[in-house]
Amino acid sequence: MSFMQPSPVKYACSCGILNPINKLFFCRHCPKLRCGYCVCTEIESHFCSNCLENIPSSEARHKKNCCANCFDCPCCQHTLSARAANVPVVRKSEETKEGESKESPAAAGTPPATASSKPSAIPTTKKIYYLSCLSCRWTTRDVGIPDQGVASGTWPENECLYQARFNTLVDYYQSIVLQEKQEKLEFMRRKAPKQHKFPSLTDRTGLTVSLIRRQIGWHEKSIPKAKAISIPPAEATADVGSLPEDIFTEPLNLRNITTIAQRHGQPGDQPTAVSNLYPQRRSLWIKRSLRCRQCEHNLIKPEYHPTSIKYRIQLFASYHVPEVLMVRCEQPLQPGKANAILLKLSNPTMYDMTIRILSALPPEEALISPEAFQQACKIKEEVVTSSPLVRNTGLTLSRQNSTREVKREVEDVSNAEIVPLESEFVLSQRDDSKEFDEDVQLPTEEPKFIVWRKGNKVLIRLQFTPADELPPNTDVMLGFFMQYTYVNTVSNASDKKEPTTHALHSRIFINAGAIEKAN
Amino acid sequence: MPIYESVMQEKPPIVLDIGNAYTKLGFAGEAYPRKIMPTEVVLTTTGNTKRLFDYEQKDELYDQIIDFLQTIFFKHLLVSPKERKFVVVENIFGRTVIRETLARALFVHFDVSSVLFVPAHLIALSTLAVATAVVVDIGYSETSIMPVFSGVQIMSAFKDQSYGGSAIHAEIKRQLLETGVKESLLTESVLEDIKVRTCFVTTMDRAHSRSRGDENQPKPPPSVDYIICDNDTMVEVPGLLRETVYEIMFEPNNERDSLPHLILRSILNCTLDVRKPLVESVFLIGGGSMVQGLLPRLQQELQHLLTNDPYYAERFHD
Repeated sequence: MSFMQPSPVKYACSCGILNPINKLFFCRHCPKLRCGYCVCTEIESHFCSNCLENIPSSEARHKKNCCANCFDCPCCQHTLSARAANVPVVRKSEETKEGESKESPAAAGTPPATASSKPSAIPTTKKIYYLSCLSCRWTTRDVGIPDQGVASGTWPENECLYQARFNTLVDYYQSIVLQEKQEKLEFMRRKAPKQHKFPSLTDRTGLTVSLIRRQIGWHEKSIPKAKAISIPPAEATADVGSLPEDIFTEPLNLRNITTIAQRHGQPGDQPTAVSNLYPQRRSLWIKRSLRCRQCEHNLIKPEYHPTSIKYRIQLFASYHVPEVLMVRCEQPLQPGKANAILLKLSNPTMYDMTIRILSALPPEEALISPEAFQQACKIKEEVVTSSPLVRNTGLTLSRQNSTREVKREVEDVSNAEIVPLESEFVLSQRDDSKEFDEDVQLPTEEPKFIVWRKGNKVLIRLQFTPADELPPNTDVMLGFFMQYTYVNTVSNASDKKEPTTHALHSRIFINAGAIEKAN
Repeated sequence: MPIYESVMQEKPPIVLDIGNAYTKLGFAGEAYPRKIMPTEVVLTTTGNTKRLFDYEQKDELYDQIIDFLQTIFFKHLLVSPKERKFVVVENIFGRTVIRETLARALFVHFDVSSVLFVPAHLIALSTLAVATAVVVDIGYSETSIMPVFSGVQIMSAFKDQSYGGSAIHAEIKRQLLETGVKESLLTESVLEDIKVRTCFVTTMDRAHSRSRGDENQPKPPPSVDYIICDNDTMVEVPGLLRETVYEIMFEPNNERDSLPHLILRSILNCTLDVRKPLVESVFLIGGGSMVQGLLPRLQQELQHLLTNDPYYAERFHD
């Protein structure tokens, strides 16, 4: 399999999109091919890609999806590293601790080399830290952020300039929403008819609760009404500043002006001057798990820990579906001229497969088995939906979701006629130990389209004819159906213990190459 | 208060503002967007980047929008869109196809619980707690003007013209090509960078004396040596270019469709009683409005037109 080039062999996913096999998944419960488009993505865990620390989702939400310790360079978006420097501190015996801490930021500005020990005091050094970009040499000292005493120090947050005003705006709009809701509630309460069987005494006498309360001398009992907070509106100003005069005379130094990417990296204030750039908190990454849209089973579930690249559930198609590799065409491709292609098929599963290559959709009875299997899966599916209410209605939530996305027709891009293989053949199971065995091929009777066979791999010869009127340099696409038997080991229903065998089919398109120029 | 708390405890809605050049995204209740990113998709088949709204078929747009939203949710916002609320800021006269396709992608593919479309001009005013203003949006593909009175958009007075960021890019490209710069160097990102970092809007006096063709033309600002890193070459950006590219917004012509004319005409399209409050507050939004010198120039131009142009003078000073 070539990772650098797009694969010439494409499988049609059950949603109708063509993909190479390494981008496909295989849902064992459906059982069908799934691609990135027809799965549901879920967020498994948040982590920082720099310090590889796992961050719980509530904390991630609170920290605005940023790592607490790692920073990115505001100039080049590279990761900043904390650098340590030794700063000499003149420690006099009578000096208080306060004086010392005051002195250290001032000393930070001077390069450490100049400050050799002074004769009058005992020379001690103090470690201070600053952030530096190893890629573009930007440091926190450039913009005047004071150095810190601890490596993972408390770097200043660049607060938004308008945060206070924004908070009052939010309060204002929230109070409006609140008032509206309360008034609606009040209205509904007043409109609702009283649920009394007998007319109450107070109704007849006109003696209401509030009246009695007033007569007794109590306070009026009423819910304090929510009042909208008044907010001073922004005022239009006639003073819009003016263009600085020196813009016409002073040469422009591009190094001091931020690029648009740098401005957008700091969306809060979008500074135009480089001196206003601040270290940016590094945004987190996620691990995602994929779920089949149809049956809501997990297809991919990564391991929780950020340092692990393994999966707990991995249903990649290349572990379940026979892989087709294009080896070569026997002759140069000419329009309308019979040709043959060599294909290498390999069986990734632990069970023998029977494979047929067909030019048209297999007959109806072969198609039934997936649906029948789904029936068997029904029991499991109902367990997935937890709510008993939903289960009683006989309507599972998963069903609802699946019907939403429109299924597409597979776009038939083939422009060559293939000759289907006359018989089916067996592809033996994958056995890693066999790879090292001596090649003792028993002289067996093979169908004549099989060129070579070893272990779980077989090389077949498939005859085809490109369409007649193909202009030179157009790609010849072969399309065929591959029917294979798949042994499903997943046992959903409790009564079925032994694995079931299904005949599945995949539609495969192969880009055989371009038509040669006619001589 | 129970209602208040329930409002606060809900997951904040996701806010999307998908512009022609840049997309702003974040969560409701935060002071600024989480991320500003180019409105581009990387095609999975070829690996090329492509503008989101470049498409030939409707299906193509749908797939691109899904790819784009997928990156937004799982690369930037890091939240699952399922059963979330959405606020989409949109151009009120935007294409229906895009709005419908976006809604379909959100509801069908991502299973969101609700989508609220809000018009960009109106919602911009909510940040000011002001109900009446002329909102001028200088965007990438167009400049549009919408008067808003008491929180209601006056649709009949809506005006738009095609001078936005892309027109400025084209003007920079034209002027640079004239000076003999190779066209292959001037990619869209280079033009944008030249625009953002070197260009400004000049004062009215200088612009007028230039357009009149006076004998003693004002001396152009110093030119800038601009380095194009990708090609290891240097381009000289002439001072004249820096000063004059934004003039396409202020060009006087018989159509009377330069930016100050457009604002005044838009106000004149409103009824008499709302003109006074409208003319008192003009609100500029959009990336194009952040350029240095635009605000003072616009103020000068508007005041100049109101006093010297008989058409406006007689209608505004009654």
